[in-house]
Parts: sequence; C-alpha cells; structure tokens
Amino acid sequence: MSDASGNSPIVHHLSTRTGIDAEELAGRSFPYQHDLALVENVDLIASTPGKDLNWLEDVSLLVEDGVPAVFDRYSNSFLKIHFPIPPGREDEIARKVLITHLQSGNSYGIILKRKHAKFPQPELGPWVDGSDLVGQDWKPSVLEGWESPSGH
Amino acid sequence: MAEGSSQRVTYDARGLSEPTVETPKVSQIDGDRAVFDAGPLTTRQINRELRWLVYEEGVHDVTITNPGAKHSLGVAILTRCTITFEGSLGYFGCGLIDGPEIHITGRVGWSFGENMMSGVVVIDKNAGSLTGAAFRGGDLVVKGDVGARTGIDQKGGTILVGGNGGMNIGFMMQRGRQIYCGNVGPGLGDSMYDGSIYVAGSVKSLGIDCVEAEFTPADKEMIDRKFAIYDFGTPPAFRKFTCGRQLWNYDNLEPSERKLVL
Repeated sequence: MSDASGNSPIVHHLSTRTGIDAEELAGRSFPYQHDLALVENVDLIASTPGKDLNWLEDVSLLVEDGVPAVFDRYSNSFLKIHFPIPPGREDEIARKVLITHLQSGNSYGIILKRKHAKFPQPELGPWVDGSDLVGQDWKPSVLEGWESPSGH
Repeated sequence: MAEGSSQRVTYDARGLSEPTVETPKVSQIDGDRAVFDAGPLTTRQINRELRWLVYEEGVHDVTITNPGAKHSLGVAILTRCTITFEGSLGYFGCGLIDGPEIHITGRVGWSFGENMMSGVVVIDKNAGSLTGAAFRGGDLVVKGDVGARTGIDQKGGTILVGGNGGMNIGFMMQRGRQIYCGNVGPGLGDSMYDGSIYVAGSVKSLGIDCVEAEFTPADKEMIDRKFAIYDFGTPPAFRKFTCGRQLWNYDNLEPSERKLVL
C-alpha cells in the first residue's frame, strides 16, 4: 500500500507467520538473550520448587526460525537465544535464559497481568518472592451503549 | 480455633454458591508460619484465608486442619510456599497451582492437581480418578492408589504412584512421566501422543498406540532421583511404555505444537 505521494508508508504490525516470538510480543529483545554471562549464575534448583528441577525438567532447547530458542509457556512464545551455546549445556542454558526472562518480569504474560489479572496474585508469580499483588481491582470492561438482553 | 461461620452456602446452577465472601482472618500467625481450622469455614473462606496468608501476610508455611474433604481447596496458589492439609480433600483440590509444595495427610477426590503448573504435592493415601488431569509440570506424588484416567491429557511433570493405577492411565497423554510401583488396569496409555509411563507391576492391557519401549539409563537416573527425593526406598524393576506414533497426525497449521512434542 502507498500514500497519495506514492511513497510506501512505514507500517508497524505483527508478522503473519505462524510462530510466536517473545521479542515480537514485547517489541524488543533482552540483554540476556545476547550474553551468556548474564545467565551463567542462575541457580536453577533454587529457582524452582522441590529438590530437583521440577517443571524445568520438561524445558529443553528448541529451534525457532533456525535460531536456538526456549519456549515460554507463560506467553506461548519462543524466546530466541542469540549467543553461542557451549556444547553439552544446551538445555541448561535454555532453562537459565527462561528463568531470567520470568524473574525479570519481561514475559508478555506477566506484562498483561497488571491490566487483565482477574483475581489477586503476585505479579512475578513463583519466580520472585514478595512481588507486588495485581488483580485486586479488576472490573469487566463495559461497551458503551450496550445493554444486556431482557431476561439476562 | 476459628469462630463459627455465619456464611450461608446455597446451591446455584451457575456455581455461584458463595457470590460474596469476606476473608475470615482467623489464622494463628507465628512469624512466617500460620495454622487455621477449616472445619467451620466454607470453601471460599478457606481459599481466601489461604491466599491472604501467602500473598499479603508474608506467611510461607500454612497448616490447615480439618479440611473435611471439602471440594476445590487450595486452588490457584501462584507463589512459592509450603501448605499442609491435615486430613482429606474432595474433588478438584489444589488445581491450577504454580509453585507451592503441598502435603496432604489423607485422601483426595477426583481431578486432584488439575492443570498444575509447577510445585510439589505429596498425598499420603489414595487419590481418585483423573488425578493430575491436564497436568503441566512439577511432581505429584501419591503414596496409595490412583483411579482411572490418571494423568489424562498430561502435558508435563511427573506423577509418582506408590500403589496401583486404574483403567486408561495416561489417556491422551502428551508429555511428562508417570511411575507406578504397583499394577495398572486396562487401556494403559490409550491414545497417548508422547511421554513415558513406567510400571513395576502387571499391566492389564495396553491402550491404542501404546507400546513397550527400551528402559534407558536416563530413565533409571530419573526414577532413582525421584525415589530418593520422596523416600520411596529402593526402586523395583520397571517396564517403560510410550507412544507407538501410529496416531500422530499433525497438519501444517500446527508447527509449534509439533515442534514441542517432538
């Protein structure tokens, strides 16, 4: 599509491909996607309930768009990893990047909580102790001029 | 001891049996530990009390006495904490949880731990049918027996059972692990897409597209680790069952789903 002058306007929109990218949802990428040093010290056992990896046991390194990625189930999107992953540490690094993403509050599902959470809950869930409560004053949206049908 | 509840619970076909309820705030709080008597409280009062403690009062360890097999207790707890139910729970207990470590000293009804995202749950006695339905992650440990269709539509996590399992264990299972120290009923793993089921005892019959698979060193490491964590003693010999992949039928519109399963 072009404007009256014939120039193609810049249009910002989500892509139409079937994959869902965490960077695309957030509108930016995050430093820990690019630097191994930022995730190296994550304690996976301390970051999860129980005495082993718990739910992270099912998290492994995948590939999305030809790039190593980890799936963020809290936003149903792939978080790509752009730094070289040392051989033999693929799943460990994927888990550390994901936990860092969740603890930092950057997961799109967490970002939506402040506006859309329908019941009180910690904003950063089980990943950070003592985070703010959200969802305490949720009210259903109202469509102006709409009235419920009679009998309802 | 909680004061008697004046909340009237009435039946409503829409499920609004307690449309308005206040947090009772009857717990005895001692630092980051608390205990309260669920006997005189309604379901919503118990759940409100529990959330108030772990979300707002900084309590990390809650003991709930006299749960009385009430339904839907301990649901949607979305933080790291320790919860003990001294007694039994009814149906849909501890569903939708993400993070807590829960111990139940009695039995639980059907659909316990439904859609559990993460955490640890240990049940000292038996669990009903559909235990761990749509289970997503974490460890769900039942020291007794479990009913039919345990782990139906399971998408991750580990279900460890000290006793026997009923019929159609792992029905439509998609990921994760189930471990049975005893026997299991007919239709094991019927229509499962992925995941692994380990059985130490007898298998009445296999379900559609469920096949026996090689028991690998990785399987042994996982079972040894879970047994050690939950004091299950020395693991017996297990047989492993997985999907035969004859029912796999992914179309081009589901690349993400296929990628996750593969």
